Amino acid sequence: MGVILAACVALPLLGAALTWWLRRGDVGVAAAALALLAAAVLPAGRGDGWWHELDLAWAPAIRLDFSLSVDGVSWPLVVLTALLGLLCCVHNTRAGGPPTLTALLLAVQGASTAVFLADNAVLFFVAFEAVLLPMWAVIHRYGIDETRRAAAVKFALFTVAGSLLMATGLFVAVADAGTADLGAIIAGGGVGEGVSLLVFVLLALGFAVKAPLWPLHSWLPAAHTAAPTVGSVLLAGVLLKLGTYGLIRVAGGLAPDGAREAAPVLAVLAATGIVVASLVCLAQAELKRLIAYSSVGHMGFVVLAFAAGGEAGIKAALFANLAHGLITPLLFFLAGAVKDRTHTGLLSELGGLRMAAPALAGLLGFASLASLGLPGLAGFWGEAFTVYAAAERGGAWFALAVVAAFGAFLTAAYLLRMLKHVSHGPPSTAVAGIGGVSAGEAAVWSPLVAATLALGLAPGPLLDLFATGVL
Amino acid sequence: MQAQSIDHLALLPLYLAAASAAVALFAGRFAGAFAMVGLAASAVAAVWVAAGPSRATFAVGEWFSYAADDAAMGASALFAGLTVLVLAVSGRRTPEYCFLLAVSAAGGIALAGSRDLITLIVALETLTVPLYVLVAKPGRDGAEAGATFLIASVTSSATALMGAALLYAAAGSVHFEGLAGGLDGAHAGLVAAGVALTLGGLGFKLAAVPLHAWAPLVLERAPLPIAAYLASASKLGGALAVIWLVHFGLAESSAASSAGIVLAVLAVGSIVVGNVAALVQRRTVALLAWSGIAHAGYVLAPLAALTTAAGRGDARAAAAAAFAYAVFFVLLEAGAFASLTAVRGEDEDGGRVAELTGLWRSAPAQAGVLLVAVVGLAGLPPALAGTFAKVAVLEWLAGSAVWLAVVVAAGAVVGLGYYLPLARTILLGRGETAAKGRFGWAVALIGVVLVAVGLAPQLVLEFTALSQ
Repeated sequence: MGVILAACVALPLLGAALTWWLRRGDVGVAAAALALLAAAVLPAGRGDGWWHELDLAWAPAIRLDFSLSVDGVSWPLVVLTALLGLLCCVHNTRAGGPPTLTALLLAVQGASTAVFLADNAVLFFVAFEAVLLPMWAVIHRYGIDETRRAAAVKFALFTVAGSLLMATGLFVAVADAGTADLGAIIAGGGVGEGVSLLVFVLLALGFAVKAPLWPLHSWLPAAHTAAPTVGSVLLAGVLLKLGTYGLIRVAGGLAPDGAREAAPVLAVLAATGIVVASLVCLAQAELKRLIAYSSVGHMGFVVLAFAAGGEAGIKAALFANLAHGLITPLLFFLAGAVKDRTHTGLLSELGGLRMAAPALAGLLGFASLASLGLPGLAGFWGEAFTVYAAAERGGAWFALAVVAAFGAFLTAAYLLRMLKHVSHGPPSTAVAGIGGVSAGEAAVWSPLVAATLALGLAPGPLLDLFATGVL
Repeated sequence: MQAQSIDHLALLPLYLAAASAAVALFAGRFAGAFAMVGLAASAVAAVWVAAGPSRATFAVGEWFSYAADDAAMGASALFAGLTVLVLAVSGRRTPEYCFLLAVSAAGGIALAGSRDLITLIVALETLTVPLYVLVAKPGRDGAEAGATFLIASVTSSATALMGAALLYAAAGSVHFEGLAGGLDGAHAGLVAAGVALTLGGLGFKLAAVPLHAWAPLVLERAPLPIAAYLASASKLGGALAVIWLVHFGLAESSAASSAGIVLAVLAVGSIVVGNVAALVQRRTVALLAWSGIAHAGYVLAPLAALTTAAGRGDARAAAAAAFAYAVFFVLLEAGAFASLTAVRGEDEDGGRVAELTGLWRSAPAQAGVLLVAVVGLAGLPPALAGTFAKVAVLEWLAGSAVWLAVVVAAGAVVGLGYYLPLARTILLGRGETAAKGRFGWAVALIGVVLVAVGLAPQLVLEFTALSQ
């Protein structure tokens, strides 16, 4: 199975090179499909703890090994990455987008998969850095907005600052533990107590930029607004997950003592982020920017759940993380479709989508309801458990739970406000005569809709899967 | 009196380099070819000697003045290889030009093997003196470059020599191993002054603050191939001089703490000054030169953390990290300057950054190597050579001086502020004029080397480990 682990990383990267070389988008689609297949067969023959491991020496002098492993925590994210990568490639190729964009998307996908699978601290850092350049190019070169250059630079600088602080934290941990094997350090109970807080703060700073955690989020709305639809989808569905996955698995795993000490600070920042993002969204006039800011709020829930800790907290964090990775990409796909058709994202210029394109409006309503946490859809469980996990700890945490619940209420308010503007009312000139949902679009969106429904109706299997993970 | 026995095999790479210089001087129009073949043979010989048992020669008791271990031979091969690259992108030149470059390379090879202060400084001068002539192009600009380089170099050599004299006065020995023991009981002020003057003077070659200001000026005005040599082989010489002195001489002695403080000042100063100044540069060579000053800071940073290190194993790791960074860095610089020479022409200057617009379309191979080098200097994958260099430094600093790791990280973030626009300029847009795109083989060679050390960093990390 080691070969398949390597294939999950290598196929997208190979596909990226071939797509760029042959200038054919369909090659990229094929590579992404094979990568999804490889990710899908990973559970075969799994045991407890780590399912499969692959370990090849690369550069022992800097403690770099090409070691990959997968477990119940990383596998869902690998599948999510492969799925979103495939959908983005299909979307881009179907829309006649440039093959280079497909190649860049595949490069992001391959590097992100390597981050989720990496079992070596140095490899983790290298993969984390490898995501940066292709994503920068996606925003910079294929952005749809006149702000794309500034947004791309902001994204790059924030990300590199974060990832280098993270690297410092990782190497402090490696020096303390004497090994770069992440699994071994986690299994050994993390780093020594003396450096635990330092390691956690450095790692958390790095991951908080990526997640993003308020107040380090300011690169996100700019990047999302400027990025093309597929770029936004990958940003929301995959790149933000690198931050939260790193926080839960790496920062929490390497420095559990530090995590416990820093939890109150993290929780207060997360709760503040939820409320601030919701308030910003309430006043937001642009569709993509609104969805981007809503990500800050949703990621706030993930961080709050992680800070609350305990089994319920960690499970809530992982679940909310995955649910956001399904719902927000769907919202970005839909927002992209609306913007493509109407050439505007301003809420004041939209309206009456329900009459002009009922299927599109219906899907937008579905995704919004899922995002605001309607019971029965994927968004509900993560956020409900988050509030529960925080409230359960009592004391000041109860206040944070109340703040988060209030944030969830505000989330409902701004998403319904958005729906009111876009779907309802008399049809505006912008939406008049736009086309409905095409079969191709429906094919791209349907896996996300189906997964949102499935996770909402039956969260049990995924929660059980998380319970088998190595944390 | 008995004559000292000399291990000629240990000196083989040096002999070959010196011989190729002598042959080139009289080879007429084949001077370049002879020099390249001779230096390539020297590089091969260095690898061959390294493959055998470790050798050393010119002994006084237990102390050797010249060693041919893996580190020295790896660095020798690198000096010879970089000089071959510079000759390959120099076009048709006079025999004297080839002679001077080969002499400089021989100086570098001698420097790599040197294990005492006298050999070190003489080798460093042999590396530098031929460049006084080479940097001076005909005309006012060339004269300015030559004079600046001469004055700065002589000043710094005198400084280093004064420091070396003070160290000798304190320790009673010029051998590095003698310094290690001899400095312990010596006058503290004398040792501190000696260390500060020596390291400050040697830092000149590396273009480390405060003796950095010559680099942008000279690199900008020198012929591009010579700028490539100054930015790669010559900088490697400076880095080696500092690393050898600190690692073999000072790390174990009581001077380690003062060396650490001096190096910390040099490193932080270089990182700050180099990065900030590079941000405002509009000319390609000036940008690379200023950013090179920042990289000199990254090279010195691991050594600066010596004060907090305890024990021999840690000191070795510090020197290994600095050495590894220096090697990756000079390879990337060589790639950048060689491809720049190829697109601009060997007699031109580097021009403005904007003139590289659309290079990707007009000269893809050269632009590709330049891109790999620039992205590598920024330390980002997929140019893994640069990433591994950064990993080597950060890994050591994280375990010894976290504040310095944060300084290095901050410097790298600022660095992105000028490397990314440079990469974008190369990649995007359409150039007004078709670039020349010459020297395809030479550029392809350094490109292959950069990719190879990116995929198999162990090639470099093996000889930079300083394990003997």
